[in-house]
Formats: sequence, C-alpha cells, structure tokens
Amino acid sequence: MSLMDQLNKYRIGLAIIGLVAFLAVPFVITDKLLIHLAILGMLYAIVASNWDLTLGYAGVFNFAHLAFFGIGAYTSGILAVKAGVSPWLGILAGGATAALASVIVSIPAIRLRGIYVALLTFACSQLVLLLLLSQPLITGGQQGLTGVPQLQIGDFRFRESPFAHFYLVGFLLLCSTIFLRRLVTSDFGLSLIALRDFEEYAVARGIPLAQQRLLAFLLSSIFPGMAGAVYAHFLIVASPDIFGFSLTTLLLSMVLVGGVATIYGPVFIGVVMTYVSELMASSAWMSDVFGISRGPVRFMFVAMLIVLTMRFFPGGVWGLINQLSSRVRKQKQAAADQHT
Amino acid sequence: MSLEAIVAIIAGGLVSGSLYALMASGLSLVWGTVRMFNFAHGALVMVGAYSAWYMSNRGGLAKALQPLGKSIIESSENSGALGGLLLPLGEWLVSMRGGFGLVLGVPFAILCCGLVGYVMYVLLVKPFVGKPGADLVVIITTIAGASFMQNGVQVIFGPRYKQLDRILTGPPLQVLETAIGLQEVLVIVLTPVALLLLHFFLKHSKLGMAIRAVAQNDDFAHLVGINVGQIYPLTFVVSSILAGLCGVMLGGLFFILPTMGAQELLFAFVVVVFGGLGSLPGTIIGAYVIGFIRESSAYIFSLYWAPVVLFATLILVLIFRPRGLMGGEES
Repeated sequence: MSLMDQLNKYRIGLAIIGLVAFLAVPFVITDKLLIHLAILGMLYAIVASNWDLTLGYAGVFNFAHLAFFGIGAYTSGILAVKAGVSPWLGILAGGATAALASVIVSIPAIRLRGIYVALLTFACSQLVLLLLLSQPLITGGQQGLTGVPQLQIGDFRFRESPFAHFYLVGFLLLCSTIFLRRLVTSDFGLSLIALRDFEEYAVARGIPLAQQRLLAFLLSSIFPGMAGAVYAHFLIVASPDIFGFSLTTLLLSMVLVGGVATIYGPVFIGVVMTYVSELMASSAWMSDVFGISRGPVRFMFVAMLIVLTMRFFPGGVWGLINQLSSRVRKQKQAAADQHT
Repeated sequence: MSLEAIVAIIAGGLVSGSLYALMASGLSLVWGTVRMFNFAHGALVMVGAYSAWYMSNRGGLAKALQPLGKSIIESSENSGALGGLLLPLGEWLVSMRGGFGLVLGVPFAILCCGLVGYVMYVLLVKPFVGKPGADLVVIITTIAGASFMQNGVQVIFGPRYKQLDRILTGPPLQVLETAIGLQEVLVIVLTPVALLLLHFFLKHSKLGMAIRAVAQNDDFAHLVGINVGQIYPLTFVVSSILAGLCGVMLGGLFFILPTMGAQELLFAFVVVVFGGLGSLPGTIIGAYVIGFIRESSAYIFSLYWAPVVLFATLILVLIFRPRGLMGGEES
C-alpha cells in the first residue's frame, strides 16, 4: 500500500481540510509578494502537472508543453489587445488554440519514437517562438505583448484584490488536478501506462497507440492553454521569455523533482519551486554573494537541482515519500510479527 | 530571379550550411557513438564564442591583466636580477592592451570547449550511461546544463552583446557583381578544411578508428580491447570542439549573446534528422541542403518564413523517411 492509497482512505476529510486551508490563505498571508508568488506557482503547477501526463504517464519525450502555455498567453493577449475580446472568452480561446496546437504537434509526433519525438517537439516550440518574434506588429516582438487588459467582472478589477486571482487560479488548479487524477486512474490512463511500459504487448492487446497518444497530448494541453491566458492577464504582458531554456528548465524541474507520473508531485513541488526560485531572485544575500545579477543565478541553482535529482532521487520527492512510508510500514510490520 | 540573387543565395546557403555542418556533425557524432542527444550543444557554441572574445578582445582577459602587468613593472624596478627577468613579461602584458588577438583566441576557445565538453560528459552523461531510460534522462540533464551555462555566462559577462574582431578586413569580394563579405568567404573556405580534418581523424588515426568501432558495436569494440569508457568522453570533447569552432565563426558574423546558439541548435536538429542521425556524410550533405533551402526560402518568401519552410521539410522527412537521407537502421 502506497502513500496515495493511505491518503485515499481519508480523502473526504482531507479534501475539506485542504479546501478550508486554501480559502483561508489570503486572509492569513497578507504579504503581497507571497500571494503573487503563490498565484504564479499555481499557474506553473498546472503546466507541470499536465506535462506529467505526457512525459510521465505516456512516456512521450514531449518538450512542447511550455509552448501550449505560451500559445494560450499570446492567444488571449492578442485577442484582448488587438480585437477587444473579453479576457474571459480569451481564456477559453487560449485553451482551444493550445488544444489545436497540440493536435498539430502530435500528428507527426505520434508516428515517431524516443529521441525523434524530443527533437520534433522541441523544434515545434522553438518554431512557435520564431513565428511570434517574426510578427512584431501583432505580438510585440522581442519586448513582448504589453498592455494586456486585466480580468474584471463588472467594475471589479482582479488586480486590486489579493483574493480574486488567488481563488481563480486555485480553482483552475483544482479542476486541472481532479481532471488529471481521474484521467490517470481511468482505463485511458491505464492504457497509457501499458503503452509506456510494454508497447508491443499493449498494442497486441488492442490498445490503439496513435489514438491514445494523440488524446494524451490533447487532454494535457487544454489546462496549460487556459493557465497561459490567465498568466497573460495576471501579469498584463505576454513575453517571449516563456519559450526560453530557463523557464523550460524550471518547469521541467517541477515535474522531475516532484516525481514523474504522480500528478500530485508536480502540483505541490510546482508551488514550492516557484516560491524558492523567486525568493532566490529577490533575496539580499544572493546579491551580496554573486554581485549584481542575481536573476540568472537562481536558474543555475534550478539546473543543478535537476541534475542532482536525476542522479540521486530519480523518483522525485513524491517517490521518496512513498519509499520512506513503505519502509516505515514494513518495519512496523516486522516489529508486530516479532511480538506474535 | 536575377543572377545577382542566385549568387547571393548560393553564398548565403554555403555560409549557413557551413555553420550547420560544424554544429550538426558534432551532434551526429555523439549520437552515433554514445547514443545520447546533447541538448546543450547550442550552449557550447555560445561558450566557444565567448571564450574567443575573452581572449581576443581588449575588454576581456587583456583588460583584466593590465593591473598585474603594471605591478610587475613597478616591483621589478625595485628588485634585482629576478626583477630584470620579469620586466619583459610585465611590459608584454601592458603592451597587449588591445587584446591577445584571434591567434590565441581560437585555440583558447577550442581548449575551453573541449574542457567544458569533458566536464559536461562527466557530470551530465556518465552517471546515466547504460541505465534504462538514459536517453530521456540525458536530454533533461543537458537541457539543465544549457540553462546553467547560459545563465552562468550572463552572470560573468552581463547580458549586453559583444562582437569578435574580424580576421580579414577589407572590401567585400565581388563575385559576378555580388558583394560577399570576407568573413563569409573565410567561413565558406575554412569549414570544409575543418570537416576534412575530422574525416582524417576518424578514418586514419587510432583514436578516430576506435570512435568508429564503438559507434558500430560497442560490445565488440570492448572485446578487441578498446576502452569504451574513454571513447565516450573523447567523442564529447571532439563534438564540443566542433561546436566551439562554429561559435567562433558565428561570433565573427553576428553578435555574441548568452542566448545565442539556441536557434542554431534548432536548425542543427533539422539537419541531423534530415541527414540521418549518426551518419556523418548524411549530416554534412543535409547541412548544406538545409542551408540552401533556408536561404532560398528567405529570398522567395521572407526571412521570417524560412523557419516555417524548414520545419515543414522536417515534418515531411520525419513522416516519409524517419531515418533521414542516409540514416542506418534504428536499433
């Protein structure tokens, strides 16, 4: 029995406690920066946990997931700035274009194996970046798309309240996590795992490889697209930095350090990593130790963290917790056996 | 299409093709031998450009050594025989105010890239060789490595762009009434020389033959007494040096930035897939073909649409011939 099964026993109680704790957060934490980071962290957590579906469960070397996030951000941003479309519709449109992009990427990707998938998806995400940079009149080019309107309901502007974005993004993360957990424990999720672990056998048992992989891409792109749209309206800018190596590394570290093929791992570690890395960027001792530019230094730490995780804890934090809890249980079992 | 345009496309295609060939041959060599894909290859290009700049430019090492040179001169004036020996050194350091030139810059870049390549192999690749799922893990660790190097260089040199000195100065070469810059001519001429050197190294030197043997079958290579554990890092070093050379050439043509190399890496991906992963002749032919496709599509459509055309080419190749032009059987 793993940790997850144990948690499952008390899941209603845990869910209520979690929900109450979550709703109370903006009341307890009044520091604006912390709330800002929590919102950012939850947005990244959405991308990381959805990425986990293709990278972890389906075992597809997919490196295009941040592109879906970026496409969502730019779609909603451009619609709002250039066409005056309501940001709320923009969020839906962001999810839709991300889904469309995922289908376009996955059609060639599902025919390929291993390394070729990595090359193709990586090339795809860079291509999206090049296309965005090539149309500076629409996308703002290298500077990014500025002047993206913020979310509002009636006269209520979301950026004026510490609660609004927090609850909205939290709700999105909750929906995404429930959706993903449902998905990976369903027959569909099991078929993905089967294809990953023993492709020939799974195909021989009648699992349609191409269709399942395409669905995995599609289903895991919608929430990142919507998160990207919210991200653009939250920061009131859509920037090409989304496609850079640095953010890719950060998001990748969330999936890996959190634990591949767990969904929960990337969700929790996503929030924690955002907090830690932003804290590194803004802390005073970092600037004392490393001189002027401390922004880049945090990405160097993130990079080191990834390599160390891959080297020593391939299962990530979640895997580590599971391992420890099962070891403790075995020891208890052994002690109980000795008594009888 | 005018004659002028055709000459321009050919020259541009040769320049891009040369750069891609240098970069992609390293990627292909590592894939063929170690069966790993190095996503930090673009960052190595950047390291090559920066280290050449640091050695050759007056804002780099020369500037940092000025105080040392001055203090040597001062102290040697006060001391006896030893001071007399050191005086020329101090005077030389001060006289090199304008930088050490590319004569030292290029070897320094090669040295740096070789070293970085070796360290990268030891830290990012070696621990995972032979483990299940190593190819994915190494993609991830090398992406992390690329991010580490990009940000590290930004910490050291700052985000402002730099440029290498031109090796040849003078009016551009006139070919059929089309002007081609001398730097471009140099790239076109020197790349085949470098690739020929690589060819002779692989075909005729003992180490090169060992690399090819490991690429063909590492178990049997082991059986005939080749130390596979040494060939892997060697391959990484050779491939890094090629990336470094590409960086030196890029640095002479365009600006040097911490994020440079990422776009070239993308094109190098297209090239290796097009030419066939692991096949050096395929990669080199592929590089020039992709270079020409890029330049002609940039001319016919626009520079911005060239990546799209290339990408469409990539997808078509992947769909109809996933092993590329000259790629071997997938193992």
